[in-house]
Order: sequence, then structure tokens, then C-alpha cells
Amino acid sequence: MQKIEVSLEKIRDEIKEFYDYKKWHFLTLNGVALADERLEVQWIFSKYEAMDEIVIYYVVIDYTDTIPSVVDMIPSAIISQRELVDMFGVTVEGSSKGLYLDEDSEISPLKGCSV
Amino acid sequence: MKKTINIPLGSQHISLLEPVRFKFECENEKIIGVDSDVGFVHRGVEKACTTSFKFDSIGYVVARVCGLCAITHSLTYTAAIEKLLGAEITSKAKYLRILLLELDRIHSHMLCLAHTCENAGFEAMFMRIMGDRELIMEIQELITGNRIQFDYINIGGVNRDLDVNSVQKVKENLYEVKQKVQGYMDEFTNNWSLSLKFKGIGALSLDEAYMYNAIGPLARASGLRIDVRNEIDYLPYNEVGYKMQTHTDGDINARNIVRLNEIVNSIEMCENILNGVPEGEIVTKVKGKPEGETVVRFEAPRGELMYYVKANGTAMLERVRIKTPTFSCIPAFSHIFLGEEYADAPAVLASFDPCMSCTAK
Repeated sequence: MQKIEVSLEKIRDEIKEFYDYKKWHFLTLNGVALADERLEVQWIFSKYEAMDEIVIYYVVIDYTDTIPSVVDMIPSAIISQRELVDMFGVTVEGSSKGLYLDEDSEISPLKGCSV
Repeated sequence: MKKTINIPLGSQHISLLEPVRFKFECENEKIIGVDSDVGFVHRGVEKACTTSFKFDSIGYVVARVCGLCAITHSLTYTAAIEKLLGAEITSKAKYLRILLLELDRIHSHMLCLAHTCENAGFEAMFMRIMGDRELIMEIQELITGNRIQFDYINIGGVNRDLDVNSVQKVKENLYEVKQKVQGYMDEFTNNWSLSLKFKGIGALSLDEAYMYNAIGPLARASGLRIDVRNEIDYLPYNEVGYKMQTHTDGDINARNIVRLNEIVNSIEMCENILNGVPEGEIVTKVKGKPEGETVVRFEAPRGELMYYVKANGTAMLERVRIKTPTFSCIPAFSHIFLGEEYADAPAVLASFDPCMSCTAK
């Protein structure tokens, strides 16, 4: 498993350069609440027909930051982006609340959940 | 005058057994827009895993995410913990784990094929396949003690060994199912209601499968060679006769054929395992508390299941992320509906084999 830290400003450019849709399978977008009230956001990829080759691009952000969308490059990311919005209460460009929760819900179940 | 109408399908619908709602925008009979709502049964399992349960209990919690693929959930989580602890599993436990995974795939695929028949109006075939599926449920109960939601996987191995009598029964039932599946193959290839009617319907091209990151039988029916069994070395799939099943048409019929071929291959693998289970212990003692982070994947009946686990050396984990097959396929599902006739929507949906219990974990 390879982890690559990127700044929020550069994440789109990095993924654009890396992502060849016929070589890499987009696994999911993941959030990990950190102890210092910050959030680690991960874009996880696996290589087709390779033995457990996992690459994670990640950024560490404040909950008030806006996460750029990658849906124009990876259409299937929309569902993970919407999940991130619901579960962590963050803003992701072009991704609305209401996948799992009600659209007007004020709860973000996994925000600050970590020890 | 408005040119389109919105037609809902679900969340409760006679042709749909899962709590999901699709909102189709239709122009005459053609679907031109799709919106989906998957949050009807959300249970907060991920949060419970980091706030209410210690790491050695979570395998039994996540087995409750889904009745059908409970074994894959508990195994994927357990493998992640074993990876963090550096645990070595015996060959015997690995073979028994594959046996249960493949039995699970057989009955899950049979359920999907039965629903496809039901949605095609072929009620008798639905009843036939569901009746035959009992042969697999019986042997799962014999091996694990449960028909569904098995607590069979343990950190370090499995909970129960096979005995001579149960091996014989498993072999007999598998042989019987293999004969039945040959009959299904004929129906799904030659019967108009189940083959020609579904050719060209609900098609996903290979390029679209790549673009929408399709997985499982949905992807393989479009010719995309993705199968986690081919991409991991935690289990010795190369030793038990695994062969990837693909098709090129990408339609409902292709998905049915892929599932049928996978059932046949799974039966072959189970038979090979039963004829060559290594001697030894079924579980090894694993000590310590997990530390670090890892990503582990297994091939559930519906496709790739992924667990991300982050641990800090205590009994409580920091994060458990569950990414389920149906969740991954929703963008591809939504794309496939576009341009289809509304009347075909239930059959297309059944061919996806969606699992909302997993999705809204």
C-alpha cells in the first residue's frame, strides 16, 4: 500500500496525472477523523489484474475546507463524495447532502468520531 | 405542456425486494434521467465499530451488515486485523475459508437468477431455483451452524472443523446442484423469456464498465477482467481451480450467463477443496493489539468488498471503512438505465443483484 500526501490545492492535478481509467480502478473516497479536529481525506486506487497494488492519495484538511470534485475525471466518485458529505459534514464541490441522511439533517455521524 | 413525467420505482415495490427508491424521468416510455435514494436502512455500523465494540468482536458485528454475504464481510475485516497483527493462518483454515466463500457465492447467484426469472414472469423457474438453493443452505448450516449470518470466521482461522459425515453430505448436495445448474443453463440460453428477451437490454459496454468502475459480475459480463480472487494472495485461489468468467455482450443475458458459469466454477472449487483439505489446526492463537492502517479486499458474490482499518495499538479501532459492491456499482447502474424502456426497469434492476443492506450499512 503506497500513501502519497498532497495539498488540497494540488490534489486534482495529481489525480489527473496519475489516473489512467484502464489501468487503475477507483476503489473509493474515504474519510478518517484525526485527533486534532482535522480530517484526512483519501482517494484510494487499485491496479487492475495486479497483486494487491493499492495507491492512496490523501490530504489533511479542516472541516471548513472545500474539497474539489473529481467526478469529471472519475464519474463513479460521485457516490463516495456524497457519502463523505453526509458522514463527515464537509463540503465537496457539486455533491449534495441526502444520500444516507435526510437533506436537512444537521447530524454528521462520523465527524470527530476518532479517538 | 410538460414533455416528461417522473415515475418512481421503490422504496416499496412489487418487483423490488430491496429498500431503494429510483426516480425515473421518462419521455413516453423511455428513461432519460435517473435519481436514486439508498438511505432507507442506514444502521451506522462503521461508527459502532469504533465506539461500541473492541477489535476482536467487530468480525461478528460486520457479519450482520448483510445476511447473504456475511462470510465475506467478517472475513475481509478479519483479514485486515490479521494483516495488522502479522498473524499466520494455517493452510487448512484458508481452504475452509474459500469453501464457505464459494458456497456463499453459489446461493447468492442462485437467488439473483431466481429473481431475474420472477421479473421475467417465469414464476415456476423462480420457485425451482429457490427450491434447489436450499441444497446449499442446508450444507452451510451443516458446516457453520447457521443458514445465514454465519459466525464462522475467527481472528486466526475458523470456528468449526469439517467431519467425515458432513463432507459426504456437502459432496452429495454439490453434485445435485451441479446437475440442476446444467438445466438452468439450457433455460437461460434457449428459453425466450430468459434469453432472447434479455439480449441487448440493460447493456454496459466495456469502455463504460472501465469509466464507471464497475465490479463483480456486472463488470465481467461486459468483458472487464476484474475479480479480487485474481488480485490477492491471502487465499490460495490458484490452488483450487479458480477461473475468471467473462462475457462480452454486457446485457442482462450476459450477466445471467456469467453468474451461471461462476456457480459451476465455484462448485468445482468446493469439490477440489473437499478432496484435498490439508491436515492441521483450524485456528492459530493470535496475540497483541492491532496498530497501523491497511486496505483489504475480497470478492463478494456481487463484486469487490473493501475494508479500510486504522488501529492505534488499543482494543478500540480508530476507523473502519466498509466499501460494498452495490455502493460501487450505483453510478454504473444509473447510467445503464438511461435510454431503456421503463417496462424493462425491474428486469434490469434484478440483473444488477443490488444489496441495499450492504450499501446502507
